[in-house]
Amino acid sequence: MSALSRRSFLTGLGLSGAGVLLAACGGPGSTASSPTTAGASGSAGSAVTGTANFYHWRSEDKAVIDTLAAGFAEKYPGASITQTIDPSDQYQSTAAQKARDGSIGDALTAFRGTQFSQFSDQGIFADLTGASYTGNYVANLITPGAAGDKQLGFPYQLIFNMPLLNTEIADKAGVSDVPTDWDAYIAALEKFKAAGVDPIAWPGNDPANAFQIINSLVMNNGPTPDMFAGIQDGRYKATDDWWVTSLTQFQQLSHYFQQNFAGASNDGVLALFSQGKAAILPTGTYQIAQVRKAGGAFPIELAPLITTPAGTTPTFEGIFNATFILGVNSQAKNPDAARAWVEFLSQPENAAAYANGTSQHVTVSGVEYENADLKALAPWVEKKTLLAPRFQFTNADVRSAIENSLVAVATGSTPEQAAEAAQQIVDEKRGGG
Amino acid sequence: MTSDTVQGESAGAAAPPRSLTFTEPEAEPRRKRRRRQSSRRNDPRLFLFLIPAAVIYLWLVLWPTVQAFRFSLTDWDGLSATFNEVGLGNYRRLFGGDSVFTQAVGNSFKFMLAVVTGQTTLSLVLALALQRNTRTNIALRALYFFPTVLSSVSVAFVWSFVYDPTFGLANTLLSAVGLGSWQQPWLGDQSLAIYYLAIVQIWFHAGQMMVVYIAGLQTIPPELFEAVDLDGANRWQRFRYLTWPLVAPATAIVVAYTTIQSFKAFDLIYASTGGGPNHATEILSTLIYNSAFRTFEFGYAAAQSVIFVLVVALVTVVQRRAVALSSRGG
Repeated sequence: MSALSRRSFLTGLGLSGAGVLLAACGGPGSTASSPTTAGASGSAGSAVTGTANFYHWRSEDKAVIDTLAAGFAEKYPGASITQTIDPSDQYQSTAAQKARDGSIGDALTAFRGTQFSQFSDQGIFADLTGASYTGNYVANLITPGAAGDKQLGFPYQLIFNMPLLNTEIADKAGVSDVPTDWDAYIAALEKFKAAGVDPIAWPGNDPANAFQIINSLVMNNGPTPDMFAGIQDGRYKATDDWWVTSLTQFQQLSHYFQQNFAGASNDGVLALFSQGKAAILPTGTYQIAQVRKAGGAFPIELAPLITTPAGTTPTFEGIFNATFILGVNSQAKNPDAARAWVEFLSQPENAAAYANGTSQHVTVSGVEYENADLKALAPWVEKKTLLAPRFQFTNADVRSAIENSLVAVATGSTPEQAAEAAQQIVDEKRGGG
Repeated sequence: MTSDTVQGESAGAAAPPRSLTFTEPEAEPRRKRRRRQSSRRNDPRLFLFLIPAAVIYLWLVLWPTVQAFRFSLTDWDGLSATFNEVGLGNYRRLFGGDSVFTQAVGNSFKFMLAVVTGQTTLSLVLALALQRNTRTNIALRALYFFPTVLSSVSVAFVWSFVYDPTFGLANTLLSAVGLGSWQQPWLGDQSLAIYYLAIVQIWFHAGQMMVVYIAGLQTIPPELFEAVDLDGANRWQRFRYLTWPLVAPATAIVVAYTTIQSFKAFDLIYASTGGGPNHATEILSTLIYNSAFRTFEFGYAAAQSVIFVLVVALVTVVQRRAVALSSRGG
């Protein structure tokens, strides 16, 4: 090997470095592939073989989905489904990045609101408009899966994000009916307190669950059903009377939370409720299965916060949410199997297996519920409920600002101060883009 | 060329003298030897050995750093194929109208000061107590070092059980000893939560820093201690005028490492509180994560990262200077 001169060596090093830099140019625009919808809409094709990955956040549903996947493999010999499951908060923050190139999530799910909007904007969901199984769903429950005139996904779960009431405790405390106005609600909480239980077990240190309470808090206070979208787009302000009133009522409610509620975890309050030490778990029906698993065998009723005064008829009786939006990845490695999987889940018999196995209502029509809790809560499907306003926020910072004002009033701020602080952050976020 | 002849012990005997002759190579002129060594050192071929490391460094460290600065001047959302140049807009927003950023900077400093003070003090105290290599001390060192080998998420998980106000160890213990009125919401307390997390960080890493201090203490010659003892120094004077200045290099390492570590305590805080409640435990690293992956403002997150790097660098320089002055008794 002949000796290199220093100059030639440095030149070589420089060229190598430049090569490396060019190779590392992995920023935006460097991925050449673009979202495709070709062949992605409609029903599954005939060539359903190979493995498709189903990406979601419901670890508690894994066993049920495995059973359904086995049924899928029977129906389509040579095809199979694997699951990739992330914790829900991680799923919300990283699913788009992970799934955008199709390396995982041939079929995948999205939360209603921020995440669906993001998937839609980024072209992650393939267009499923006109899929043959669309008619299997209750028409008005799948609108959260539509963007413009395209049906990008099918919300699968029907959830009632309203406080759960242990009716055994209620009966013992002398509360015979679910309160239907604000005064009756506070009176019921007083009775629970007098009965020696925590009236409400609130998971103050778990925002995802803690702030489900916001839904029924505002359903009859807000000026329009799209009140939170209005705060985000500037039509309304956190300092408006309706939100200050909501904060005032929440502050009143917080006097009935368990001791040291601000640091409470979801597991802690779930245990309090499951063990019969708290009368109300203010989250939603998605936690019923966990309550049962934790040993809670008492009957459960839904007790939405009715904030209207006695003698007036509330506009809405409760809250629902259509989420776990099923879709097909536009970059799916196995789009045929992915479409077939979504179609498979959309069949009433399979949706029933999912519903009864997970204690979740579904948006598929014609489903026979066998689970006792699902049967007991079935009347809520027919009631006048509002699509959960919490998920109208598409900016997570704006949502946090509004939700954090609840924490502020519960821990000592006045409603006016909390509302002003929230609006300041909303203004900053709206101004900053 | 020179040659030495060494005669054997039998020299002068009847037998012909047995001589051993060592011939050394002719001494090379010093200048020539130096030139040869110098040319060997400057042999450009030697630089070839640097290429693999240089490539990895350029690719995985330097280039992403350059890219971070580049993206800080854009409104890229981290997902789209396109973005707009916004100049210094992200920086103007940081300093002109983001109260959460200001709060996160404040929290980062609170956390850093609590951790650096607590961890440095505790690790030094432990090191002083355990510096002798007895069996008990070695066992205790292993015990105190143990948390360091755990993952941050495991530590956060364990401490979330300690701090849980409903069923947690802390409130249960307080209640058991008749101090039920002292029970706290712990991580739900907006004014103190950041300090409760600092306690976790100190517990997590004090053992690691103790090892650094023990290494530093064991390099101090024992004669120096004998000398100050002869001079009649008490324990405080012994520490103040001998131990402390001589462990200054270890202190500089501990303080710098702890500072950087506290600014980077992302995983512990994210797994414990996620930055809540109400941003009370939001530090710069959790804020950057949230900006990039929760609100998808990647360009803005990049600007926060640039400021973050500058803050850490500045604090480290100031601290090194402070430690140097302190060890000189200044």
